[in-house]
Amino acid sequence: MKALGSSGWKGPVKFRMPTAENLVPIRLDIQSEGQRYKDAFTWNPSDPDNEVVVFAKRTVKDLKLPSAFITQIAQSIQSQLSDFRAFEGQDMYTGEKIIPIKLDLRVNHTLIKDQFLWDLNNFESDPEEFARTLCKDLGVEDPEVGPAVAFAIREQLYEIAIQSVASARESRLSKKGRRGSDHGSASKASGLSMDLVKLFSFKSSVVRKRKDLDVYEPVVDLLTSEEVDALEAREERHAR
Amino acid sequence: MEAIDSSAELELYTIPAQSSWFLWDDIHEIERREFEEFFSESSINRTPKVYKEYRDFIINKFREDTSRRLTFTSIRKFLVGDVNLLQKVFLFLDRWGLINFSPSLNDNDTLSSVDNAKIEQGTPAGIRVTATPNSLRPITAPPLVEQRTVSGVKLPPLTSYSDVFTDLKKPDDVLLCGHCGQRCDSAFYQHNKSIINICEKCFKNGNYGGENNAADDFKLVGDSAAAVWTEEETLLLLESVLKHGDDWELIAQSVSTKTRLDCISKLIELPFGECLMGSTSGRLSSAVPTDDEDTEQVKTDGQEHEETETREENEDGPPAKRKRVALISDSDSSLMKQVATMASKVGPSVATAAAKAAIAALCDEASCPKEIFDTGDYTDSTVDRADGDKDTDMEEQKEEKDEPQGLPVALRIRASVATALGAAAAQAKILADQEEREMEDLAATVIDQQLKKVQSKLKFLDQLELIMDAEEEVIEGGKETILQERISVLQCAFRSGVTKRWDHTYVK
Repeated sequence: MKALGSSGWKGPVKFRMPTAENLVPIRLDIQSEGQRYKDAFTWNPSDPDNEVVVFAKRTVKDLKLPSAFITQIAQSIQSQLSDFRAFEGQDMYTGEKIIPIKLDLRVNHTLIKDQFLWDLNNFESDPEEFARTLCKDLGVEDPEVGPAVAFAIREQLYEIAIQSVASARESRLSKKGRRGSDHGSASKASGLSMDLVKLFSFKSSVVRKRKDLDVYEPVVDLLTSEEVDALEAREERHAR
Repeated sequence: MEAIDSSAELELYTIPAQSSWFLWDDIHEIERREFEEFFSESSINRTPKVYKEYRDFIINKFREDTSRRLTFTSIRKFLVGDVNLLQKVFLFLDRWGLINFSPSLNDNDTLSSVDNAKIEQGTPAGIRVTATPNSLRPITAPPLVEQRTVSGVKLPPLTSYSDVFTDLKKPDDVLLCGHCGQRCDSAFYQHNKSIINICEKCFKNGNYGGENNAADDFKLVGDSAAAVWTEEETLLLLESVLKHGDDWELIAQSVSTKTRLDCISKLIELPFGECLMGSTSGRLSSAVPTDDEDTEQVKTDGQEHEETETREENEDGPPAKRKRVALISDSDSSLMKQVATMASKVGPSVATAAAKAAIAALCDEASCPKEIFDTGDYTDSTVDRADGDKDTDMEEQKEEKDEPQGLPVALRIRASVATALGAAAAQAKILADQEEREMEDLAATVIDQQLKKVQSKLKFLDQLELIMDAEEEVIEGGKETILQERISVLQCAFRSGVTKRWDHTYVK
């Protein structure tokens, strides 16, 4: 039987979003002159940089915000993009890592709670496709939910990718003179990853146990306007 | 899996025919190719066992209730593993119809619409439906006069005589009285100058339907009288057509028992009737669609002509001049050219069929063409008949006959057309034979080359075999030497007196 460790270990890969399309999640929360602009969307880092300003201008025009927002929006996007680019040159480990991704978000009147597994190694994964299927299967009519779900997934993936870069750096520093695979250390570095060996061995089944079913089931709630208001008020209070 | 319903325990599930490769117990090549990541042993969480579990679970889940559509989200929670991968498996099964395949599910969902053809109402954009050239279904005829100046390339819209003459002649419909609107059962009165028919009752009552219609403008037309055309009448008709050209009044007078419209309709019915009205017959060949283009144009030439006539009679004034004679000569030359080009483009079998059909049609309808054409099998003998010869032939025979003058003219044209087609057919046949022989030659060459290849391969293999034999001998020799050496070593060992234990290990 092959040594499982060696079969799973892959060399370090250059940093990128572990999805089919290398899109960066950008979150904006700008407050100025009594108005607050919150937004979350995905950006393609290979777009030319002048697009940022164009986007900022168009957003301000569409939402009728004061023009002071333009520079602030552009700056915020730029800084997040440069953060992303800073990671880009570095290596990240992409060992066998299947992580649970949790969704707990509210978009307008729709509340979604969900949990599922995502393979960081699967560079063909597509959060947008997943979000589309989710909304279609659950009959969600609000068209803003899909992109919000995709964004949430991307954000979490981004976080984990950053962590894996950090862990790669650490293990490289401590690796000097050590032979053998680092597969074990890489996957254990993040406490989130599942114990794949146990899970996918010959003895166990990939069918989930009954007690876990509830956790992994998506739940969609439609809220009334009052509930929405109440939730929003609570969020504001938390933010302050 | 299509289980044959042999026992009560087996349940019948339908899957599309193209998915019949699916086996419950095994993983098929298609699946292996699609999901290489499972089978490449590159990761722990992707093994064939895992794939099979996913697949079986999803299919079983679907079969718990085949009437409801299985969604990915509903099964996702049951399976451990990357959701993207699961979705891929799910979509794969869905696409192959191994799940979500049932008549009730096929209409709505977009997931399965990959395979389903969309049924649209009506014709797709960019395509307009027009009637086929051969159909007699009336299409609304646009005013053809505007397209008089059309060049030979662009054809006026297709129309058939029935829609031009629908009002005038209703072969299957009953005639309605123009005045009271009721059926004219037995006999009716037809106005000489216009299209109005009135029934007997109205005639008696003096309702002539319209101003300035006097009693003697109407001619009594009995149904029986209108239908039957005897030979003499036909003869008279043709003679008078040729004599009077387009003057239907005079024609009707000479064919005394028939009204003007009857004459027109009878003439149309005759296979070459339209030719006499200014174009070649519309029924040159019913079998060849490529000829229809030509005949349609020709027919529409005739239609234009007829329509101008009728319009004149309706006192709208002739919008265009009558060019009956000119039309014949025009279409004569252009028709020949067109027939020649078409026959050259068309395959030999088609041209043969066309020529045969043309001759058959000719022979069927009138007896004289038979004599002109001499034999039934025209195609082989037409090689000799150049156009010039034929013309003289035609003319001779024309003089010999007592037939009305019009026939040879019409038949000549048809005959020449048929000749051209026949000549083209013969030519094509010769070419085809040549091609065939060439093809056979080439095939023989190819076979030769293949044989040579095979022979050289065999030679090569023979040589290889010899080499192998030689090597085998060498190796045999080597073996023997080794054996000898071993024996000598053993002998030395024994002579020097080694211990028993050492013997054992060594010999082993």
